[in-house]
Amino acid sequence: MEAAAGQAEEAALASFLDRAQTQRYAGGFNPESWEQEFDKIPMFMKKSPAEIDPEQNPDLACLQSIIFDEDRSPEEQANTYKNEGNEYFKEKNYKKAVISYTEGLKKKCSDQDLNAVLYTNRAAAQFYLGNYRSALSDVSAARKLKPNHLKAIIRGALCHLELKNFPEAMAWCEEGLRIDSKEKKLVETRAKADRLKRAEQRDARKAKLKEKKEQSQKEVLLTAIKERNIKLFLEASKEEDEISDGLAEMSLNGLSSDSTTGTKVYLDDNGNLNWPVLFLYPEYGQTDFISAFHEDSRFIDHIQVMFAELPPWDSERKYHPSNLELYFEDEAREEMYQLNTENTLLQVLQHQR
Amino acid sequence: MDEEQARELLGFLCLDTRPDLKGQATGYVLGLTGSAEGRTLLAGRPDFLEALLLLTGDRSLAVVKDSYHSLINLSVAVGSHRVLAKELPVLLHRLLDSGYAFADQVCTLLSNLSREEGTCRQVFQAMQEEGLGLAQVVEVFCTEGYNKKAALHYVGPLLSNLTQLPETREFLLDRSRCVVQRLLPYTQYEASAIRRGGVIGTLRNCCFEYKYHEWLLSPEVDLLPFLLLPLAGPEEFPEAEMERLPVDLQYLPPDKQREKDPDIRKMLLEAVMLLTATKAGRQLVKEKGTYLVVRELHQWETEPDVQAACKKLIQVLIGDEPEPGMENLLEVKIPEDVEERLQHLDREEERQQQETQSKGPGAQLGSSGRSR
Repeated sequence: MEAAAGQAEEAALASFLDRAQTQRYAGGFNPESWEQEFDKIPMFMKKSPAEIDPEQNPDLACLQSIIFDEDRSPEEQANTYKNEGNEYFKEKNYKKAVISYTEGLKKKCSDQDLNAVLYTNRAAAQFYLGNYRSALSDVSAARKLKPNHLKAIIRGALCHLELKNFPEAMAWCEEGLRIDSKEKKLVETRAKADRLKRAEQRDARKAKLKEKKEQSQKEVLLTAIKERNIKLFLEASKEEDEISDGLAEMSLNGLSSDSTTGTKVYLDDNGNLNWPVLFLYPEYGQTDFISAFHEDSRFIDHIQVMFAELPPWDSERKYHPSNLELYFEDEAREEMYQLNTENTLLQVLQHQR
Repeated sequence: MDEEQARELLGFLCLDTRPDLKGQATGYVLGLTGSAEGRTLLAGRPDFLEALLLLTGDRSLAVVKDSYHSLINLSVAVGSHRVLAKELPVLLHRLLDSGYAFADQVCTLLSNLSREEGTCRQVFQAMQEEGLGLAQVVEVFCTEGYNKKAALHYVGPLLSNLTQLPETREFLLDRSRCVVQRLLPYTQYEASAIRRGGVIGTLRNCCFEYKYHEWLLSPEVDLLPFLLLPLAGPEEFPEAEMERLPVDLQYLPPDKQREKDPDIRKMLLEAVMLLTATKAGRQLVKEKGTYLVVRELHQWETEPDVQAACKKLIQVLIGDEPEPGMENLLEVKIPEDVEERLQHLDREEERQQQETQSKGPGAQLGSSGRSR
């Protein structure tokens, strides 16, 4: 009997081999597209596709439904989501990681340790997305479940650091250090927060001092102007910051020029005022600007320099210094007053009108 | 008071004595401890000490208070330590008990006991045996409102005394932890000179460990600004100089006040001086503009011995570097004859100072609390 069976087998094998050499294997890869087909087999995939289309990829869809099967316990499902989130995290795909962890938390499984980890991991992903406040709320939730969860505490401290809440950052570090007094990241973070806090305090002091200095410089300036009996055109004070009762009539807003150059009147080292002065030539729509006109210099001196050579726009060649008449306008009264070019700026400014 | 009277008094110092008599007795004992003779009499008597210790557990708050205050006064005498040290475990637990109403008294008592080196060792040993680490003491010290009924300022001098021992210094200076850093803000603690002085004493003692100087002066601890800040005034420096100073000393407001207690000012200067012992330390201290601060302090300072400390420090800061082989001033071997001459010069200087002062040498910094 054995010999007969053996012979039958041999015959079957022989005919199979004959056929194999002539017939193609039906289920094999297409030689042109074998790489794509290869990639579609879940086992050989290098990357999983972002979306799993059951039509395109039935095998993968099958696997997915097995892993995420609703029949599994909430703990198992939550754990799977956690792992998925961790994978996304490793790939730095933080948005997807957040989604996975959120799904895990939605399961509301009874394993509080797992939930604490889900919150903490989601916090980390939010941290890298720059959502520090969301991250903080997540670590707080994690700590409600597990007050001594060090990773949550560290993450919280780092969030506060980014948000520049330095005292809170230090407080969280100290809490963590009570649990593990040698935790390196906490020791480092506390030191960093402390340094940044002290630098911030220094910056505040520096700014305050600068403001005080500027303020007193402004007051000196205003006093100088007032002493000279110069009437300033009152610009309606848009903001509330009047200087002081004594100088209330003069608002400093009017003193800072909103002209193109942004120059201001200032008191020089010799105690003289220097003003920015704008010359307008209405006939030709031209202007000249002197940024620092010394109060004791005369108009005629400036004009002689400015019109030493006649300007190009002066088509009729008539703007000689001796021909020029200068006026200034009192906008409030809508009156023009001629000034004597032999006068100094100070004298003109003191014009009583 | 003779032996019979003493025994009679002792008889009233029991937990089951009638309350009014007990109260009177403890009040009387407290009064005794207020005088030097009273202290001498009682400090050497184990029976009184033990009685008082027991009475700290009494139900009457007045009795407890009087007993503690008597013990505090008596603990100034080293002779009382042998007996009192036996109570250390109980005292330490009470200190760290956040609900204990008399924690301040215990604190002061421990601070007195730890002053003497031998008893200090016993305190530390008791701490080890009871599993109460230095970490806990620092934690309690640095936690605002740890004990609602006790301010615990005297933990400062307690820590300072404990740092007589190298083991405690090692712990405070542990690089992998964050211990000494937590003490630093207290160099500016306005509400209590005791706490402030205690912290500064602690830091000064730690500065004897020159192996740690570079770390102490590094950004990880950044000790120097905390030592200089109490010494700095509201002076304005030109911008270039200002930017050289440590961040904490820049742009100080015009109402900045210097440390009011001259003994504390002296300790701060001593601490900075210690930091200049090594070449590396000296370099760092110089770089951070210390000279500016000490110069201004010297001009403002009126206390002679603090002035002297300023001068010494300034000399180091602007003087030439010592010769090779003398890099660590704490380790330099001074030849005997030079040593003698230096001591002679020191004595001369002191004598001259005393002549111009016409007052005796100042009292040692009060880490011994006294109760009236």
